[in-house]
Amino acid sequence: MELFLPIAHMDVNIVLILFYGAIVGFLSGLVGVGGGFLITPLLIFTGIPSIVAVSSGAAQMAGTASGASYLHWRHGNVDFKMALILLLGSWLGGGFGVYLAEILLRAGEFGNVVVFLYVILLGFIGVSMLIESLRAVFRARAPVPGGPPAETVPNSLLQRWFDHLPWQTAFPASEARLSVVGLLILGASVGILTALKGVGGGFIMVPAMIYLLRLPTKIAVGTSLFQLLFTTAAVSIMQAGVNHSVDPFLALILILGSVLGTKLGARLGARLPGEKLRLILALVVVAVAAKMIVTLAVPRSEIYDMTVDLRR
Amino acid sequence: MSFWLRCLFLVSVSMPQVPAWADESLIVAPETSEVDISTEFSGKELKVIGAMRGPGDLIIKLVGPPHEATVSRETKVGPFWIKSATVRMVGAPSLIFLYATAPIASMLQPAEQQQYGLLFESVPVRFERQLQAYAADDWRKAFYRLKKKQGYYHEDDGAIKVFGNRLFMANMRLPGDLRVGKYTVEILLVKSGKVVGRDVGQFEVRLTGIEDLVWASAHDYPWLFGSLFTLLAMLLGFVLNVIPCRRMR
Repeated sequence: MELFLPIAHMDVNIVLILFYGAIVGFLSGLVGVGGGFLITPLLIFTGIPSIVAVSSGAAQMAGTASGASYLHWRHGNVDFKMALILLLGSWLGGGFGVYLAEILLRAGEFGNVVVFLYVILLGFIGVSMLIESLRAVFRARAPVPGGPPAETVPNSLLQRWFDHLPWQTAFPASEARLSVVGLLILGASVGILTALKGVGGGFIMVPAMIYLLRLPTKIAVGTSLFQLLFTTAAVSIMQAGVNHSVDPFLALILILGSVLGTKLGARLGARLPGEKLRLILALVVVAVAAKMIVTLAVPRSEIYDMTVDLRR
Repeated sequence: MSFWLRCLFLVSVSMPQVPAWADESLIVAPETSEVDISTEFSGKELKVIGAMRGPGDLIIKLVGPPHEATVSRETKVGPFWIKSATVRMVGAPSLIFLYATAPIASMLQPAEQQQYGLLFESVPVRFERQLQAYAADDWRKAFYRLKKKQGYYHEDDGAIKVFGNRLFMANMRLPGDLRVGKYTVEILLVKSGKVVGRDVGQFEVRLTGIEDLVWASAHDYPWLFGSLFTLLAMLLGFVLNVIPCRRMR
């Protein structure tokens, strides 16, 4: 079953794209990541031009996140107040990130700086999460009398710094008291990453909410998805406006595929304990970082590459 | 098959209409003058038929519209490969297919091949910024190598079928990501290492129906298109999750 994509200007197998959508939807529903880091390379591997893959992926994520955040809202996992503050921060950071990207582009080091920052960040977050969640899983299996419960995450220097930031406000939905300034900084950091790399940043936001803000894993997942809905929608509109690169057929097929995956992911996520969800997210983040390192290090048979302009 | 034989016959009887400049009578006609790209387009098998007088070797050259490309180069820094330079290249044909009755190198001398644009390495391509001559040569070679590797510059020495030294036919497999624009089909008749006859045909590739509508909307009203489509995507994601949930209650 082939379909010609008018913007990507090539034909694709509908079943394959539905399958990709289902995989990404499953991850979204389960651990609250948009899946941009996964869908983009999958689409590029299929032969879709990278700019179309990034842009249509953003449109698909907006669709998937709207459905997934609804499901999480029904389970009471979305803290709207916190999501709006994070969103404001991410838009501010995104605006700054665009200027930062321009400076790096002028210096001619944009791609390399971004890739290395990304790998270091992902590797650090992924490995830290993996160690912590594995400990929590083992603790939950064999609870030590007097030891911390499995859902509790350990204190760190960064957390203590975060706790002392001004403008502490209550967030009843999350049963937490957090600094608005801290939330804005967190949102801005993810926004900068979104502008530099074109990803929604769910895989940074969710771990940060769990480990830095010490939110329950399910609240972190639901709130991240709700925030992601607006971030990815903005990216999709801007990519269509500036680069004309959102392929509607591709995005719609991905959304259809992701709906089934999201439901399965959200159902499984509701049944799994927090530490196991964190372990799954950690494994995904580590796998992405490892894949990027392998891609950077694997010997090249051809050192040149070509991208053809999107013109009909 | 009988349809194509009838076509071959019609081409053959139209031989007196060959251009006056041709030394040897030769005529070529693509199967169609228009290739429409619609939703189910996944490439096309295009027949090119023609007629000639007497024996000889044939070369068919299919050339696509020009395109722009960005070529990048990676350099190894420590254990990692990083992008070190990019160059914009313009003006080269998006596609060149060469079909022949024998290896082209055995039919014509390199100078003659270059004169008729049969050497991929001699296809004109311009750089958007000025480069040193030696550097330009490396980038140019990389460009041709990548085009060949991706299958857009391709030579097939056994693709033309000749019937009784008079009629010929070739099947061209056009890829699914065919660029829109005018394509030229040039036929050359080669005898004793010289090109003795030439004719040129043409066909146009165009988007039609919803494909054309989507392309035009995305380019003519990009912000409106982006906003409306993103809203639609969000609504679709929401509705597809809400309706089944309500039914399950």
